[in-house]
Amino acid sequence: MSSEQRGGPRPAAGALIRPFLAAGVAAGTSGAAGEREPARAALRPFLLTAGRVAAESSITLDTQVVRTDLGSTAGSALTFERRDIVAMCAEPLSVAEVAARLRLHLGVVKVLVGDLSADGYLAVYLPNADAPHDTDTLLRVIRGLRAIS
Amino acid sequence: MASEPSPSEPPAGTAAGPAAPRAEAGHRRPPLPVKIVIAGGFGVGKTTTVASISEISPLTTEAAMTSVAAGVDDSRYVPGKKTTSVAMDFGCITIDDGLKLYLFGTPGQDRFGFMWDDLSHGALGALVIVDCRRLDECYPAVDYFEKLRLPFVVAVNLFDGSLPVELPKIRWALAIDPATPLITFDAREKLSVRDALLSVLDRALQRGRAG
Repeated sequence: MSSEQRGGPRPAAGALIRPFLAAGVAAGTSGAAGEREPARAALRPFLLTAGRVAAESSITLDTQVVRTDLGSTAGSALTFERRDIVAMCAEPLSVAEVAARLRLHLGVVKVLVGDLSADGYLAVYLPNADAPHDTDTLLRVIRGLRAIS
Repeated sequence: MASEPSPSEPPAGTAAGPAAPRAEAGHRRPPLPVKIVIAGGFGVGKTTTVASISEISPLTTEAAMTSVAAGVDDSRYVPGKKTTSVAMDFGCITIDDGLKLYLFGTPGQDRFGFMWDDLSHGALGALVIVDCRRLDECYPAVDYFEKLRLPFVVAVNLFDGSLPVELPKIRWALAIDPATPLITFDAREKLSVRDALLSVLDRALQRGRAG
């Protein structure tokens, strides 16, 4: 009965927490100090995108991203993750690589890259879907791999 | 489950449009990305395989159902799952100035199968890695690539340099098409991985020529 509520064993706090929130808990706070958690760990990832998850669906893992003239002069016009993404894309990178290097969620990066492209800060090069069926491309890859020693 | 058409998008500049932003002045076009999918059960050596040959140390990224599976029918079977995260590793090899090969390791667990569409779309082919002590773990990958008609090669990872089961028996157990290559390799050896990837490309080439 009610004795169970008070004295009974309770599941570990973490067990009740959804995965993305658990990081904040694991950092070791109990009670009020929780407000001062490092934001990144405790944030649900799609907060960065204002809750949007529907990235431009043509942006794939291997989509290449490079900054534009506007992007390279953006300076303080951009903040936080958006600035980081533009800064690291001085050389072309794949979306997957951007996500991994910034330790950001892949879905979040897709949305942000879509935004930055729409605003003119990034140029986005979509993979050529015909490439897998193109014999010349295959032969080039074969030659390139054979050169590895 | 697979009744709907593939969620593939037309490749042409839908993201960027005709007034696409241009790369910073003085930059050449980024290389054309091509990719090979590295599949297989949990712990068969996918990460090792990527690490052996990649120019960058393998990177891991998180992907969630919400974004990756947007438009893919799988998500309707687990409507409550919005933030499941999945680690996926990848590496890359520069082929020449204009071409870069990406290796994407599939998440090992079955329940992340929804990611495979995203990984496999536009891939040149796939390498299905097998641990011959746990053959059954590669069945989902073999099934998937057969259904998708993506050229693939089954590669037995020789963990300690020996092959406890003969290849014909493995082929029999897997019931793969006689034309599907079955090879052995060592995921720790760069050249061995290279040769395994080359056999994937040869297979893709054959399939391309066969129409």
